[in-house]
Amino acid sequence: MRIQPARIARFLGVRLLSSAIVLLGVLVVVFALIQLVPGDPVRLALGTRYTPEAYEALRAASGLDRPLWEQFFGYLGSAVTGDLGVSFRNGQPVTTTLLERLPATVSLAVVGLLIALVIAIPAGIWSALREGRVSDLVVRLTSQFGVSIPDFWLGMLLISLFSVTLGWLPASGYAPLTEDPARWLRQVTLPGLTVGLVAGAIMTRYIRAAVIDVASSGYVRTAVSKGLSPRVVTFRHIVRGALVPVLTIAGIQLATILGGVVVVEVVFAWPGLGRLVYEAVAARDYPLIQGAVLLVAVMFIVVNLIVDALYAVADPRIRVS
Amino acid sequence: MSQRTAFGAAILVVSLALAGCSAGEGVDIGDSTGASGDRTLVAAIGGEPDQLDPQKTSSYFSFEVLENVFDTLVEPDENLEMQPALAESWEVSDDQLTWTFTLRSGVTFHDGSAFTSEDVVYSYDRIIDEQLSNAWKFSSVTDVAAPDDSTVVITVAQPTPNLLSNLGGFKGMAIVEQANVESGDITTAPVGTGPFSVSEYTSGDHITLTANPDYWGGAPALGGVEYRFISEPATAIAALKAGDIDWTDVVPAQQVTDLESDDALNLGVTPSSDYWYLALNEAKAPWNDVRVRQAIAYAIDRDAILQAVSYGTAAENQLAIPEQSVWYTSYDGYSTDLDKAKALLDEAGFTGGTLDMLATSDYPETVTAAQIIAANLEPLGISVEIRQPDFSTWLDEQNSGNFDMLMMGWLGNIDPDDFYYSQHHTDGTSNAQKYSNPEVDELLDSARVETDQATRKDLYGQAATIIADEASYIYLYNPSVIQAWSPSVTGYETRADRAIRFRETTLAD
Repeated sequence: MRIQPARIARFLGVRLLSSAIVLLGVLVVVFALIQLVPGDPVRLALGTRYTPEAYEALRAASGLDRPLWEQFFGYLGSAVTGDLGVSFRNGQPVTTTLLERLPATVSLAVVGLLIALVIAIPAGIWSALREGRVSDLVVRLTSQFGVSIPDFWLGMLLISLFSVTLGWLPASGYAPLTEDPARWLRQVTLPGLTVGLVAGAIMTRYIRAAVIDVASSGYVRTAVSKGLSPRVVTFRHIVRGALVPVLTIAGIQLATILGGVVVVEVVFAWPGLGRLVYEAVAARDYPLIQGAVLLVAVMFIVVNLIVDALYAVADPRIRVS
Repeated sequence: MSQRTAFGAAILVVSLALAGCSAGEGVDIGDSTGASGDRTLVAAIGGEPDQLDPQKTSSYFSFEVLENVFDTLVEPDENLEMQPALAESWEVSDDQLTWTFTLRSGVTFHDGSAFTSEDVVYSYDRIIDEQLSNAWKFSSVTDVAAPDDSTVVITVAQPTPNLLSNLGGFKGMAIVEQANVESGDITTAPVGTGPFSVSEYTSGDHITLTANPDYWGGAPALGGVEYRFISEPATAIAALKAGDIDWTDVVPAQQVTDLESDDALNLGVTPSSDYWYLALNEAKAPWNDVRVRQAIAYAIDRDAILQAVSYGTAAENQLAIPEQSVWYTSYDGYSTDLDKAKALLDEAGFTGGTLDMLATSDYPETVTAAQIIAANLEPLGISVEIRQPDFSTWLDEQNSGNFDMLMMGWLGNIDPDDFYYSQHHTDGTSNAQKYSNPEVDELLDSARVETDQATRKDLYGQAATIIADEASYIYLYNPSVIQAWSPSVTGYETRADRAIRFRETTLAD
């Protein structure tokens, strides 16, 4: 493979710089949006009955009585050092909370993506190579069904089958992979399947389209006309050529799942980032919202970076530039 | 993640999946080893506590856990009457201004340190000095002192018959440990004197409590309680039926009838001391006209609202206090009567208009009720525009008086003062509807300091009747507390105040 380390380093440098600018933009927008959204975190934290003194005391303790610019630059200053402030609701450092939730999100995303790939790659290729036949139609209809199915409904269906009727797998709960791998696996299976089946259906359609596209391209026709066997043409040329679009959609799907599959997390009571953000928004927990959005943005950038790097590996025609 | 580690993870997942399948074991039902005293009950609650500092949180999810971790000076029994807890007994001086509490001896905190009167003084001073959200409960208190290790003296500015329910009505007034507060650990690893101590907290997933063998009320029968956070009712019920969990209060009202006939679980349904109401903004015309408010009270179909929001599990009520309370006053001034409603509107010279109804998506019953109310008011020429922001925005709108009518509930009240004073007194802190009647003010002021229970009940009865007659609040219903648990759970009772107490609970095999 023709990969030049110096070029990759420069490429990474440029990307890191632009990433930093993107993150700054994300911060500004999130900060501004939070100010525009109605709802007072102090009032929400105090409940329905409190004295005016209690209100002022909590407002001052949360730093909300300071001018906006001071709040923003104070936040920015500490964010650079990795200090994302403390949650309004429980006073815990935001960074700690996010890092606690990250493993659950990453395990669900990785398992979901693997299940999706295991389904989508064979189904997509198979369907594309049989374009127009009944088997292609069956795959297309099935994937259409999978795309249209609401994920909470699929989740409930899996729970009622595997938890209630068969009693094979728990309906909820989470154990870290590092602490109890067997239990982790049993608990990640149903939410992972829910995420994976939906993502797999979406990816099947992309992969099928990509393979059809490559199969009709000039270099494949050349390969066929050179007299190469169908197997070689399929696997060395078509599938390899379709890798780039597959990587792209896999990256997008992975980043989406990492960003939070709120509904699936709610159904399976999964302690991931999606539910955390949902709860933080409901509670107007500004520091936690800002921190979580920042983390999701970082994950999107990192996934994109990895996908870009893999392009070069997958397709030698793409030059690092 | 590099390609290689991704590949490694894939291999790991696949091999683990195979291992898991071939093992073919049943669903893990928590810690099921050993004698019944070692067993851990798994309880699913609807959300994660925001924090475990009882004096700072206002989240019910926190109190579901903290009820079993902390104690108050006194506490309500199942009839919501105050009983000794950390205080063994108490005396009130003849002038009603000095309350002397004698503390239980030999009580220790979970970390082994002794509980003394200084802890009570520290806990109460913290609420007052830091102006925490419960500071209003001490509004008549002028001093909290500890003359010796087992005595606490509370001095009040005027007779305060509801002092006991203010001190013990809920765990927000819990006695905390100074060291635990000052280290900051209290938010995630609180130290109390209660029947269980917090042993493990995994953010987003569960909190585990371990039985306190030295609990002053006797060691609990359970070895511990694990709380899991499941917000989706269908998941919670599925988990209960599958044996993943032993107890839950995440029960959809529409399933109560089905679940009642299900042998796989027990259901607890108890009328609560919460109430739901409508309030019209009296700072705005035409809602400042008592006849217009009464017309709305006559036009709404309470029974239809109650069926739609609770599937018949709630109890209709035209005043705030539920029937089973000793403070209950009977009142049935309103019935659905469109003719009377129209006559009242004609009298008031009302010729139709729109009503801005503030509901909130965070409490779906407000939205459901609003839709029925909209249909009820249509024949009167009132078109209801329903808004349903989230609760945070709802609070802002309520506070700034930006509504014509709203629906909300009051939760966890015990003393009649909690049901009426802040909501209907001219200077009440929660009087968002701007109701003002000097007669009601006087009744509420005198009831607040009246020490004779019968006279006090009579004063509140009078005030409540005027409040309902003038439709300061249009009361709708008292909802039920609905909980479900496995048949192997015994010694648990559903309580009207929604306190979740596992200290007497046992778990059979």
